[in-house]
Amino acid sequence: MIYGSATFAAAGFILLSVASAQQGQAPQGKGRGAQAGGRGAAAVSSARFVDGHPNLNGVWEALNTANWNLQDHPAYAGPMWETGAIGAVPAGQGVVEGNEIPYLPAALEKKKKNFENRRTDDPEAKCYMGGIPRSNYLPYPFQIVQSPVGILFVYEYASSNRLVNMGKPVEAGSDTWLGTNNGHWEGDTLVIDVTGLNGLAWFDRAGNFASDNVHVVERWSRADKDHLNYEATIEDPKTFSRPWKIDMPVYRRVEKNAQLLEFKCVEFAEELLYGKYKKK
Amino acid sequence: MKLLLFAVAITSALAQNRYTPPKTPWGDPDLQGTWPGNMGVPMQRRPDLGTRTELNDQEFAQQQEQARRNAAADAESTAASDTRVGIGPPSYWTERGKPTRQSSLIVDPPNGRLPGLTAREEQLRKQARDGRGFPGEWRGEANAPDDLNIYYRCITRGLLGSMIPVVYNNGNQIIQAPGYVAIRNEMIHETRVIPLDGRPHVGNAIRSYMGDSRGHWEGNTLVIETTNLTDKDAIGSNGAGYPGDPGHHSAELKVIERLTRVDAETMNYEATVVDPATWVKPWTMLIVLKKDPHYQLLEYACHEGNYALGDILSGARADEAAAKK
Repeated sequence: MIYGSATFAAAGFILLSVASAQQGQAPQGKGRGAQAGGRGAAAVSSARFVDGHPNLNGVWEALNTANWNLQDHPAYAGPMWETGAIGAVPAGQGVVEGNEIPYLPAALEKKKKNFENRRTDDPEAKCYMGGIPRSNYLPYPFQIVQSPVGILFVYEYASSNRLVNMGKPVEAGSDTWLGTNNGHWEGDTLVIDVTGLNGLAWFDRAGNFASDNVHVVERWSRADKDHLNYEATIEDPKTFSRPWKIDMPVYRRVEKNAQLLEFKCVEFAEELLYGKYKKK
Repeated sequence: MKLLLFAVAITSALAQNRYTPPKTPWGDPDLQGTWPGNMGVPMQRRPDLGTRTELNDQEFAQQQEQARRNAAADAESTAASDTRVGIGPPSYWTERGKPTRQSSLIVDPPNGRLPGLTAREEQLRKQARDGRGFPGEWRGEANAPDDLNIYYRCITRGLLGSMIPVVYNNGNQIIQAPGYVAIRNEMIHETRVIPLDGRPHVGNAIRSYMGDSRGHWEGNTLVIETTNLTDKDAIGSNGAGYPGDPGHHSAELKVIERLTRVDAETMNYEATVVDPATWVKPWTMLIVLKKDPHYQLLEYACHEGNYALGDILSGARADEAAAKK
């Protein structure tokens, strides 16, 4: 039986070899591989994935000021005068429903302190992972790799990534930056329940934050072929008096050659983090 | 000539393609799953083994005996009284791997040894040895963060280091979507999303540690060609080039990886290193990966928890201050 299938496979390969020999030693990437890629490219922009659910595959990026400040804000100076207008913050309309983040009094004090110390304390300045929800609206593209076995989010920023489990929900183990991600479909919306977050990531450069008690529920849906709707409900009774919600569109990077590049930022943060320990 | 190439193709097909992997719903060979690396196969072959790719019964028995001793040591709950105090993790953290008969990761040249270095590279390595080392190497000084190697700095293990098994967290995972294959490496946390649509590489000025990968299928084998790399890391288990590792390479490095499922549980990962500025001819290594559905990749937040780097630097400053007194 083993020999039977081996013979069959070998026969299949001989046919293939003949085909590629006839193409006159076509360079790699042509022939069968290109065909598969071609089918893939078509499937990427179609509205439905092979399993009938909405197709979220693609390179995406938010286009707003949420990473500077989730809430409505006028333009203001950045934390470093040295960078002049380059480091300034553009005015922006917030992404928080009702614009209010319902901090408990002590948490509001901490948020203000975070804002004052944002140049050195913002985890983004230190090249720490973005956490959830912030990774989705950092000013870098991310790619969704949707497979029947799970949905992978790959972020250009700091090479961070998370695999959303679409099977039987799993319980969070130890806390992490991007959390434990259990997904399911509610109609045409991908709902991701994120637990086990370590609470070390901020939500923006304005110092908005939560504790390690935070629970985030994300909702992803296709608005049209080049836009996703993204919503996240944030719940943390240690930090907020009630759950609150952000929502925003996310845009497809429609450039023909759109792809993630590498943003490994450790080297850019070493002077900030370790400069004080350098030999004088 | 064509006929000869054809015959070679069939021979290698017979050797490799006995197993037909399942297909994804969109028709690509399905490589998805978790394929952790297995420790224990040396990079280069012991010279006395010659062209022998597999250990004989006696040599393999020695390996198994060593594994038994390691397991016994790992099971000790208290350290022996003569154990030297260190800062490394306890031995049971280490993934020891399962003994195999493979005599070296390098399978070509046939003696399992790295080919010779070019004259230019000999010269560069001599300069590095006599000086501050290559970027990313640690020469024992701790004056600034970039004195430490890129592994200690939690930057990356680069390509190929990210695929080479090392002490722990050797998880590799493959996820596929139409037109793409994504390869995740647990340590230091990498994901390459590899397009299969035959698009050209990014421009020459865009350089990175993991490079720019393009894939295509040759039969049931995924072939990945990666260029646009840097010369700031090294090829080895940690990307930093410890003694015995292939080490420093040039920015002209090209890596050709071939991933072939050879049975339901096994995938051959072959990587050919083409870098004419560094080695006089290309060389190839083979890592045999076993599927493990129970292996869970964890978030390897290396830089975020990197207390060691600050401690090493501040410790060096404290030593200097003490010496002045």
